[in-house]
Amino acid sequence: MKTLKNACITILSLVLISCSTKDTPNNGNGIPGGGGGSNPSSTWLIPINEVKDGGPGKDGIPSIDTPVFEIASETNSIADDELIIGIKRGNVVKAYPHYILDWHEIVNDVVGTTNTTISYCPLTGTAFAWRSLAGGSFSNFGVSGLLYNTNLILYDRATDSNWSQILQQCVNGESIGEVPEKLSIIESDWKTWKASFPNSLVLTEQTGFDKPYGTYPYPSYRTNHNFFLFTPSPLNPALPNKQRVFAVLDNTTKSRVFKFSDFIGGNAIRDTFFNSDYLIVGDENLIVAFKVSGTISNLTFTYDYDETETFFKDNEGNKWNMFGDAIEGPRTGQKLSSAKSVTSMWFAVAAFFPNPDIYSE
Amino acid sequence: MFRFLFICMSLSSINATLAQTCCSGGIPLSNNIGLEFSEDDKLILGISYDFNNLNTLKNNSETLDDDSRIRTTHSVLVNAGYSITKRFSVEGLFTWVNQRRIINQFDSENIDQTYGIGDAIVLLRYSILKNTKNNWNVNLGLGVKIPLGSSTETSEQGITLNADLQPGSNAWDMIYLVDASKTFDFRPTMTFASRIVYRQTGKNDTYFDDSIYEFGNEIQTYFSISDQFLITKTFINPSITFKYRNAKKDKVQDIDIPNTGGDWVFIIPNFSINIAQNISFNAAAELPIYSRPDGIQLTPTYRLTTGLLFNLFNKPSALTIKK
Repeated sequence: MKTLKNACITILSLVLISCSTKDTPNNGNGIPGGGGGSNPSSTWLIPINEVKDGGPGKDGIPSIDTPVFEIASETNSIADDELIIGIKRGNVVKAYPHYILDWHEIVNDVVGTTNTTISYCPLTGTAFAWRSLAGGSFSNFGVSGLLYNTNLILYDRATDSNWSQILQQCVNGESIGEVPEKLSIIESDWKTWKASFPNSLVLTEQTGFDKPYGTYPYPSYRTNHNFFLFTPSPLNPALPNKQRVFAVLDNTTKSRVFKFSDFIGGNAIRDTFFNSDYLIVGDENLIVAFKVSGTISNLTFTYDYDETETFFKDNEGNKWNMFGDAIEGPRTGQKLSSAKSVTSMWFAVAAFFPNPDIYSE
Repeated sequence: MFRFLFICMSLSSINATLAQTCCSGGIPLSNNIGLEFSEDDKLILGISYDFNNLNTLKNNSETLDDDSRIRTTHSVLVNAGYSITKRFSVEGLFTWVNQRRIINQFDSENIDQTYGIGDAIVLLRYSILKNTKNNWNVNLGLGVKIPLGSSTETSEQGITLNADLQPGSNAWDMIYLVDASKTFDFRPTMTFASRIVYRQTGKNDTYFDDSIYEFGNEIQTYFSISDQFLITKTFINPSITFKYRNAKKDKVQDIDIPNTGGDWVFIIPNFSINIAQNISFNAAAELPIYSRPDGIQLTPTYRLTTGLLFNLFNKPSALTIKK
């Protein structure tokens, strides 16, 4: 009997000890309860009560730090209507499919010679690229697990500071106030991209993580306009919340929104706003925008996608690709100035840039 | 003997799980209720420690090769039950909870955690059938989960953590219970028991101040076999329980949240032993044998429970031997 009693006490003790020590708080920064962003700084450039814990936790959605690519023309596993994020630096052209980014949200890559952080937020449908710098030094970025207005907050691994994706600014931590150097990207459907850049490199599923690629992680979120895990503010009923739109942004809180329905079959629009002239060209799958000035202002542009790299042309005989590179004609080698823009769900534009102008013909 | 079996059964119920990535993160509430009383004016106190480890990432029925995320819940549970009559009893279950979310990724470990008093349950229970001749017993229970726990705990940065990590739910739930047990003449010490617990969840209408969150309704069914053996003059009471759990999806603003809810089947080996007069010791493990969460979720890897049961006002039933 005494032996059994002792055995019970021993079991009880072992369980208590093993369970209480197995996961003793000891995060990388020595700060338990880091809250998905364990920077000790309490200063935020955004209202902290509108910063939400998304659920997965810091790095619970792992960034891709060693991306593996294959040539677009040799890829048969991507559906034609799958959206991708495209970037071009010099002669290096790369694509990052949404269906992979849905599970990682961030890719730390080298594009050409530029350390580049590609970020994509599946809850707002927004993608950006910027140089991988924090505090003046190279840094990879990761998913903080925090959301601001339902939008991704990244953190940098050099200073552990938090960065708002859509605001494109460090909003908390040692690097607070820093603005990253933005790099131009486009969002395209795969069919258009593959036809335009068959020799480009496309991110593969060889990410080093076992994820159910091809399964959207938030079923019904994209189609249910009233479904939010965290309600953004302000909401704007002018368009359905989850409608995909293209927004040109200025450097304040203004934006001008273009609906894809205005570009069905292809369209090129010259528009003036924010004291600048713009060219907005695209179709039902892809819209891009450029600032026009100087002699470019005198040109007349028309949509001219012909399942090659050419995306639009002008009355001077030039042909341009979707990145604004003149690839044929007298201006070959010239490049249009990309406008600050983003493809997004409508609600996110309305929340981050209240009262946006909506273009109408 | 009968009382012993009841106590053994109630001990075996201290195995518990609400185990999933949501639903108070695995605080074993609704299945730790249902203390058994064989007579009136009897008080039973139980204290147990429960460790729930979720380290298995699944996408529906597919197990993913990813152990970077760990979700644990440490709970201390205190049961107190009193039999007002032979058929009518009341009991309360109170908890203290430590919820942890641990991410091991990119050579670093990130932990978010909360701790504090969790939600509690008060249960009224009535025995609708006590047939000692045929060794049948059937009980009905009606309870309420009281939101004593905080649902607004924050990280060190002051950011409110999500519902899954909170000690409490800030919602009143209804608990419905029915259980039955039967022994047979061929081996009177062996008991077959079954129980069903249904939890109808309420709404937290101040989730993140202006939102409404509701954990999914859930049903848990148990089937257990327990027996008693005499070893070195001490009764050892092993049992084996099979448990099925179904949870509906959580809702926010009355809309289903992806990657919540699902179906699970567990096997629960358990043993208890009297270590002193009126005091029983219990140890159990809960192991999943089938799980199919909706979408991608961390699901239970294992649960360990140990506890003590104090039988007050009476001589310990577990030492009562029918001859």
